[in-house]
Amino acid sequence: MAPPRPPDRFPAGPRYRSYLLFGMGSALMLPLGFELLCALWALASGDAAWREFQAGLRHPLRIAGHAVAGVWLTWVALRFFRLFPKTQPFRLGPFRRPPDWLLVGGLYGVFAAASLALGLWLAGRIGGLG
Amino acid sequence: MAEHTKIIAVTRFDPERDDAPRSQEYEVPVQEDWKVLEALNYIKDHLDPTLSHRWSCRMAVCGSCGMNVNGEPKLTCREPLSNYGERVEVAPLANFPVVRDLVVELEGFLEKLGALKPWIMLAKQRAPEEGATRQSPAELADFKQFSMCINCMLCYAACPVVANEPDFLGPAALATAHRYNLDSRDEGAAQRAEIMRGEGGVFSCSYANECAEVCPKNVDPAGAIQQAKLANVLSWARSFVVRRRAAS
Repeated sequence: MAPPRPPDRFPAGPRYRSYLLFGMGSALMLPLGFELLCALWALASGDAAWREFQAGLRHPLRIAGHAVAGVWLTWVALRFFRLFPKTQPFRLGPFRRPPDWLLVGGLYGVFAAASLALGLWLAGRIGGLG
Repeated sequence: MAEHTKIIAVTRFDPERDDAPRSQEYEVPVQEDWKVLEALNYIKDHLDPTLSHRWSCRMAVCGSCGMNVNGEPKLTCREPLSNYGERVEVAPLANFPVVRDLVVELEGFLEKLGALKPWIMLAKQRAPEEGATRQSPAELADFKQFSMCINCMLCYAACPVVANEPDFLGPAALATAHRYNLDSRDEGAAQRAEIMRGEGGVFSCSYANECAEVCPKNVDPAGAIQQAKLANVLSWARSFVVRRRAAS
């Protein structure tokens, strides 16, 4: 017998590329998680350490990294929204699963509202950042 | 019916003569309404009787004629030749050992499927006088989609996890197991749980969703596996709570 060969279009096929891009995002999550830990450490170390951490965030490389992470996270969220409905059981307790459009619409609604709130907060329009 | 020729490039492999699969081209006079399988049958009948390929029903029911057509897993009996250009490549399904030409070895799949006990299991055998087990249309709707699998193996040929983890039970087998777990007549979910949660079970799936993309019967094995993940987590958590309550 001839041994099995991998799928013919792996990894260059368009659908496989999307899947790989999704998986490769873990490489972004690792430094972002580390940065979050550094932020918590700086917060716990007093005002001077926190100000130094904030100053570090203004470095162009950090800004570029965050921009890439922002785009990637948005893309991951949209992929998740598309694939989410069918991961849910057909029956939720005594009720049938809501239609896919309602589940996806709800996710997009929460995403849009959270993005708007975060944008307003960062712009100082709401909360205490102003 | 209008007729013209296409080049059909078929992967050939004779285990007694070839070290590795090779490609062989045939010029086939095809008709507009032909499916890929009809071109292969023409080659077998008129050009090269040594070609080996599987097929049976010709109506996308038996699941025998799955092959890679231009790199994508397809049921050749329902895949129109007109979807392709002047040269069409036909290869055996990926992720399976090749027995000969376009015929793949399915023994590994059958072992995995059998391990998941894909049949209705009852906790206690029913006596004939108890009558038939009844099931409402709503209960049938809970699993009907997943029961449409014809074991054509296109999902295995597309799955990147199957390619990298030979022990992965795979889309069709796991979807079928989930189908029985959802069946209101079945009482065997606990017996399937160990293997579904174990090495190569549902949690090996990384949700590439390729199986759902290529499934010719819209079974959506990827959806079944994600649902099975959730069901297994919930039943595990429930058993933990029940054990603790029983202990106290």
